[in-house]
Amino acid sequence: MPATDYQASFLGRISIRRNQVIAMDGNHEQELQDLELFSKHVSERFAELLSSPDDIPFDALLSISWLRKLLDFFLCCEAEFKGILMMGNDPSQISKPPLDRLIPEFLDRSVKALDVCNAVTNGLESVRHYQKLAEIVVSALEQKPIGDGQSRRAKKALTSLMSAMNVDDKECSAAKATERSWSFSRRGVSSKDRVPEHFRSVSNQVAKNWSAAKQIQAMTNNLVPPRGAEGSGLASPVYTMSVIMVFVMWALVAAIPCQERNGLSAIHFPAPKQLNWAQSIIGLHEKIGEEWKKKEKKGTAGLLDEMQKMEKLGNILMDFTDSFQFHGDITDQKAEEAAARAAELAETCRRMEEGLLPLQMQIREVFHRIVKTRTELLNALDQVGKSSPPLL
Amino acid sequence: MDGCRSGVPTYEGDLHVVAAAHHIVKALGATKNLSDDLRKILIDLDSHLSMITSNIDSKGGRGLVDVEERLDQAERKIMRWETDPMMIWDSGPKEASDYLEAVDETGKLVDGLRGLSVHENRKQKEILHRAMNIFQTAMSRLEEELIHILVRHGQQFEPKNMYSRSIRKDIVYDESFVSVEDEPTKETSSQNCSNDESGECIVDLVHADVIPDIKSIAKVMFTSNYGPEFCEAFISVQKEALEQYFSFLGTENLSIEDVLKMEWTCLSSKMNKWTWSMKIIVRVYLASEKQLCDQVLGGLGSVSSYCFLEISKATILCLLNFGEAVAMGPHRPEKLLRLLDMYETLADLLRDIDTLFSEEAGSFIQLQFHELLERLGESAIAAFKAFRVAISSNGSLYPFAGGGVHPLNKYVMNYIRMFPEYWNTLNLLLKNQHPGVADQVTKPDYGPDTSLLTSCPMAYHLRSITSCLESNLHKKSQLYKDEALQHIFLMNNIHYLVQKVKGSELRLFFGDEWIRKHNAMFQQHAMNYERATWSSVVSFLKDNNPGSSSMSKSTFKERCKGFSIAFEEVYKTQTSWSIPDPQLREDLRISTSLKVVLAYRTFLGRNLAYTDDKCVKHTVEHVENSLLDLFGGSSRSLRNSRRW
Repeated sequence: MPATDYQASFLGRISIRRNQVIAMDGNHEQELQDLELFSKHVSERFAELLSSPDDIPFDALLSISWLRKLLDFFLCCEAEFKGILMMGNDPSQISKPPLDRLIPEFLDRSVKALDVCNAVTNGLESVRHYQKLAEIVVSALEQKPIGDGQSRRAKKALTSLMSAMNVDDKECSAAKATERSWSFSRRGVSSKDRVPEHFRSVSNQVAKNWSAAKQIQAMTNNLVPPRGAEGSGLASPVYTMSVIMVFVMWALVAAIPCQERNGLSAIHFPAPKQLNWAQSIIGLHEKIGEEWKKKEKKGTAGLLDEMQKMEKLGNILMDFTDSFQFHGDITDQKAEEAAARAAELAETCRRMEEGLLPLQMQIREVFHRIVKTRTELLNALDQVGKSSPPLL
Repeated sequence: MDGCRSGVPTYEGDLHVVAAAHHIVKALGATKNLSDDLRKILIDLDSHLSMITSNIDSKGGRGLVDVEERLDQAERKIMRWETDPMMIWDSGPKEASDYLEAVDETGKLVDGLRGLSVHENRKQKEILHRAMNIFQTAMSRLEEELIHILVRHGQQFEPKNMYSRSIRKDIVYDESFVSVEDEPTKETSSQNCSNDESGECIVDLVHADVIPDIKSIAKVMFTSNYGPEFCEAFISVQKEALEQYFSFLGTENLSIEDVLKMEWTCLSSKMNKWTWSMKIIVRVYLASEKQLCDQVLGGLGSVSSYCFLEISKATILCLLNFGEAVAMGPHRPEKLLRLLDMYETLADLLRDIDTLFSEEAGSFIQLQFHELLERLGESAIAAFKAFRVAISSNGSLYPFAGGGVHPLNKYVMNYIRMFPEYWNTLNLLLKNQHPGVADQVTKPDYGPDTSLLTSCPMAYHLRSITSCLESNLHKKSQLYKDEALQHIFLMNNIHYLVQKVKGSELRLFFGDEWIRKHNAMFQQHAMNYERATWSSVVSFLKDNNPGSSSMSKSTFKERCKGFSIAFEEVYKTQTSWSIPDPQLREDLRISTSLKVVLAYRTFLGRNLAYTDDKCVKHTVEHVENSLLDLFGGSSRSLRNSRRW
């Protein structure tokens, strides 16, 4: 770990101590240590995510393996967070101000995150579909010698692939979903390889009119850093965990096709730079936000590294198949280049084949974990509520 | 076959070998009783050998001309459909088989030519590319034909015909404990439809007649390495059909947030619908889909289960998410029965799910089902506990007017009357819950009457619930200032409790001993009532000196007056009290009558001398008749009987 991190957490320690100098007893001491450790781990983990090199394809920002690491870190942070909140010596704290307000808000955010998880799970189904189409492209172009037939086969799959990516990205899923039917009349269509119109399936929706962007925007409601004395108590990990949750959901939605992502880049969550654990998250947010802006200009499919690669290669190979059809034949050099691209695409497909299912399962794990913590927190609140005298 | 491809003969000798082999193959192929597989191998071999020969000949170009002719023929057959507005499989079996033959021929030519193309031969290469081009057209066409067949011959089925929709009570219970009247619960016990639902029921999602067509397309496409295209098309059509069916069932996608916010009546009907759709989707639709996949893609390894998973995954996840959302929601007591419905449905379907998704790729789905089952079980238990808490904490500030059956009692008893239907599930879920639940609760120390049912966990919890209810009712009875009314209230309510138990399957779980004990309890309250109300009234009629023959007139007058006032007072108050059960009311009147009327008659009889006096306000008959007015629920007052 770089030295600056030590320094940062040391400064953090001082600031916490200063606010907490009054009313310091044994329990508080322990609690403070836990809080410190928590924010230290958060900042370490996100610093690692931020520093992941772009040139190594495996761990590139927003690649499948990067997302899996992100989710791993989320699960770790979540476990620590729950430990701090629930193992404390005074369970009644969670029902006292300011937590009596912050915890319900946090739970509300959790529920919203669950819907995002489901949307992303659906999105991964689309990505799986792209992978299958890309595999057809690869299998067509792998054959030797490459002829018009193979090129047409590849082009057909490519057309489906590109239009599928575009539909998913058009963010008008609800309207598209109901219109489609297979009763297209094939006659009268002159193209030799008709591509069935891609449809956005209904089951890929979270709900009618649901919007991932709005959902995440709503998660940032009331999300403000604790002030003054609050900043040293349990309010601060609740805030930290909220920011992490919002960020993770935001990153997932940015990477993976999702129902309605309009306005995603406009979302900013107030994570003040002076909080050292927040710095890497802010850095990541900026970096991904920039990518997203580029994407909105270009109209590509989503920031998942593998998908971007797939799209780039898809465009190149599309040109290749086009020129094949115009000229009837191609130069060896072009054929070689196409083969190389096809091999790259094959590699991307392989990485998807390896990573997508585990990623999907991990998202489900995150889902179940959020549910579990929510239940435990509700039970704890209930318990505290019971021990206080009844109203009647 | 690879050996044939690589072996390109270069000199005369080889040519002979090839020719000899060719003859042998031809001779073998003529044999009648060959298996289909073997015949196919021979035909393939034949075509390869002829290709080799034609290539050797091709120095003069004759062989290639032969190949070209064959290709021309196939091309004509394939390309003619490209301008025909008809679909091939719609045009007739002959057309379809001709087409498949042409595709097969083209495929063979492609294979053969490719085996040779290591040698740079422009003409040959040109033919190969042409063949491959035609082949691609054919494959693309087959994909389209496949989609067309699936769509055209896809069959919807009415869910009505599959399962009679469970009408196991559509009463909506809410948390307000507003009275749920007794009538609608009558037929519940007879409505156990789980038995006839266990039978598996498979329908043809695609008409059985076209299955061989689909299979023949699958066969050609898979052997030509176009399997992925086949899967793509097959999955998208079938997936969409499932989704259409899903919305046809009236199930819509809901976000977890929506479900959590949903009003109870709405949620209740959605939970009901979920239970119903889940059964149909899994047991009928998916079972049928699985069969279709196996029929079409049977011999192709894991392809069938891959396609099945891709088709069904999204819909299954959608159903599971609703379940998760419900299980997450607040554990209100009124949710209990619906949760149990969901739990039972899921538990019941687990075996089907485990079979449908037995392959490794499907284990994810399996796991999700098991997780949800667990979650629903936890949620049901939490709702069960909440039910108990709600009963204990149901407080009242004012006494319940008239002392009749309290709405809480009605609600609770009508609700738990349905528990026996779920007793297996409840037993399973409650088994591990023993320690947490109140220990002060009646232990079944009912001597010999410890049959299996009365000592099962559910019975234990049922008794714990009613004892909670009883102590709450006792608390409520304390709100009455009048001791007699306290007893009427408790008598009414315990009587109601016993009646509900006796009149339903609950009696099996409560046992005879419990019923005896509670019978005695409400009878005790009836006696206590009589004592509290009537002892003082009757005391006016008592003879203080049984030795002497009669009392003085003034004493008689005084007693008479005292009795009248007391009786009128009782009449005025107790006509407003209520005993809803006619039998119970009747019994109490008779026993009161026996006591009071008899005492009055004796009193008057003993003092016949004074009975003419105005001081006798009420005749015996009048008292007897007046007693019939008691507990009618509306206050009345007595007038002087003489004017009647």
